[in-house]
Amino acid sequence: MGFAFGYPLVQVVRESFYAGNFASPIWVGLDNYKGVIADPEFHTSLLNNLKLLVAVPVMLGLGLLIALVLNDRIRGGRQYQAIVFLPYVLPATAIGIAFSFLLQQNGVLNTALRSAHLGVLAQDWLGNAHLAIVSVGGLVVWQQLGFGVVVFTAALLALPPETAEAARIDGAGWWALQRRVLIPQIRPIIELLTVIQVITVLTWVFNYVYVLTSGGPGYASSVMELYIWRSFSNGANGTAASVAVMLLGMASVLIGLSLWVRRRAVAT
Amino acid sequence: MARKHVLAALGAVLVLSAAIFASSAASKPAGVVADDPNNATLTYWYWGEDDAPGATNWIKKEAAAYQTAHPKVKIKIVIQSTDTLTSAFTTAAQTKSGPDIATQWATLPVLTPAWNGSSVAISDYVPASETKNWIGTSENLSGGKLWAMPQYLLGIPFVWNKAMFKKAGLNPNKGPKTWTELLADAKKLKAAGITPFGMGNKDGYGGAWFFSLIGKQNLNSIDELKAAMLGKAKFSDPKFSGYLQVLADFKKAGYLNSDVASISFPQGLQLFGQKKVAMSWVTDGNVTAAAKALGGAKAMGVGPIPKWGKGKLASSYDTTQSSSAFITSWSKHPKAAAQFLVFLHSQQAMKNWYAATGVFPADKRFPASLVTDPIAKQQLALDLSPVSVWPENFVPPQVDGNADLAAGELITSGSGSPADAVKLWERELAKWKAQHPDEFKNYTKWVSGG
Repeated sequence: MGFAFGYPLVQVVRESFYAGNFASPIWVGLDNYKGVIADPEFHTSLLNNLKLLVAVPVMLGLGLLIALVLNDRIRGGRQYQAIVFLPYVLPATAIGIAFSFLLQQNGVLNTALRSAHLGVLAQDWLGNAHLAIVSVGGLVVWQQLGFGVVVFTAALLALPPETAEAARIDGAGWWALQRRVLIPQIRPIIELLTVIQVITVLTWVFNYVYVLTSGGPGYASSVMELYIWRSFSNGANGTAASVAVMLLGMASVLIGLSLWVRRRAVAT
Repeated sequence: MARKHVLAALGAVLVLSAAIFASSAASKPAGVVADDPNNATLTYWYWGEDDAPGATNWIKKEAAAYQTAHPKVKIKIVIQSTDTLTSAFTTAAQTKSGPDIATQWATLPVLTPAWNGSSVAISDYVPASETKNWIGTSENLSGGKLWAMPQYLLGIPFVWNKAMFKKAGLNPNKGPKTWTELLADAKKLKAAGITPFGMGNKDGYGGAWFFSLIGKQNLNSIDELKAAMLGKAKFSDPKFSGYLQVLADFKKAGYLNSDVASISFPQGLQLFGQKKVAMSWVTDGNVTAAAKALGGAKAMGVGPIPKWGKGKLASSYDTTQSSSAFITSWSKHPKAAAQFLVFLHSQQAMKNWYAATGVFPADKRFPASLVTDPIAKQQLALDLSPVSVWPENFVPPQVDGNADLAAGELITSGSGSPADAVKLWERELAKWKAQHPDEFKNYTKWVSGG
């Protein structure tokens, strides 16, 4: 265990204090960290990761809503569930490539909008610096939504039917039943999924960004993972390692925080 | 107890694995594998299709032909993509593993791996009697050695659609010779409802071409650019960065295709042949493809890039060997790799190349008599211009990727001003020096003739 997990971690931390290539590293102390902290591209990347966190409540909210509706045993519920889940099983790279064509200025989406006399809504989704990260967030929501729906549906199906039945007999309406009876019972799952999705948008969005925008235009949609990759692929291993250490620190804090919240919730 | 057993088993597996690795390493020391040029398995990371449509099919056919002639040689062609060409090899070089033969763009993308020990000098494996026939070798010289093999000449001519010029009331047989003329033509084309100029810059290469084609025009020699890379001259000097304002003005005037920021560079190269734009600059290979689509010399004009600057390089043409092939330092079969690369310069391979791509091989032995098409003749004359330079080749790869490409994206997306783009260039130059002190030292040495 120590070798499999500990050794790479120690190496990454060690590497963050060196410049140059692996063959002839040059000790630079904290210079990599100082350089990264002073780098506007890193600020943009970090900010974009934080912006993408907005996708988490959207994913969870929509996922929960769909799961609650499907839980009512509506006609064709399983088919709907399969449709919603489908994007999740598709490779992010393939989806990214498809969307990179769909979202071009004269791509399928804008052409359709113009044909429907909604040209005012047609935007340069990938070429506009303000919209590029929004497009990435939209794609993340589109693909990850199915996972939330499946997890929430499974959690709802596992609940004992008696409580919901009792609430109905007591005259609870649909909304009250969901809000006061079902959602509170799956709260631990919601919390768990929140943590998973927060970690996902912090550390697992590279594929989407790389294929859809490559972090552009300029660095407008860059994220920390892309910053790490770009540094590493430029041979700036020390810089890449220092950002990886920072990212690891952030993820560790978030995981610690979530564990603390969980413990507190269980205790109360 | 059970946990102890599991841990003990894991420990044993680790010790055993280490022993196997150690013994296998000891039994196969570097250099023991015989480098028989006629008995080897080679992996070739190849790139060329975006420059010269048809290149990928050609290399696969040549590899197959070579394997038929050399039954004990196996060649695995791995096609590389434009946007990861440099980064993929840099990543492979970190661990000194990957292809036997790699492709990179000429000069610094070739020389940087040479300086950090990732490649071997091709002149150590191919005799001078052969390399003297290759064109453009000066682009890949360092320390008195040649580091890569040129495959083809890549000229970048200016092209215009004659029918669209006519529709806009312009002389279809006279393309713009200066930037002022180009702007005047663009104005008339736009007024006629025609998109004047086409390119793609989602990946930054459209802007990088603007730097190489227009940005060089205020320089008297490429040494001035090298000095700016080393910090001996300021990139903020309009001599170097003036092209950014030109690009910004061009975009602001509405002379570029509206989707310039959201389509890729290769997609942008197709616009001219698809009759979506009236003017563009494309590679020789794409000129050939466009000529087929538009109907030949009668339908399109070809000429040098319009003059904007006042430096001596404003009169230079824009030919480079573009992609160059080199042998990696970790290849166990450098002689076999060199022999295959020489085969690619054989008469038959060159004829096949020209037939497949319409692009001229970078070899003096290529018979000009094969060039019969009037547009191709024009291109060949331009490609063999006495002074030809591609400035992007002289920008360190990291700075090219992080500043040159990104700066153009800022402008074409409208998300940054030329001043922002200049700051980006300066920041990335400083970053390169700080992150790669070894590369900076090598670059300095190379500039001074080392």
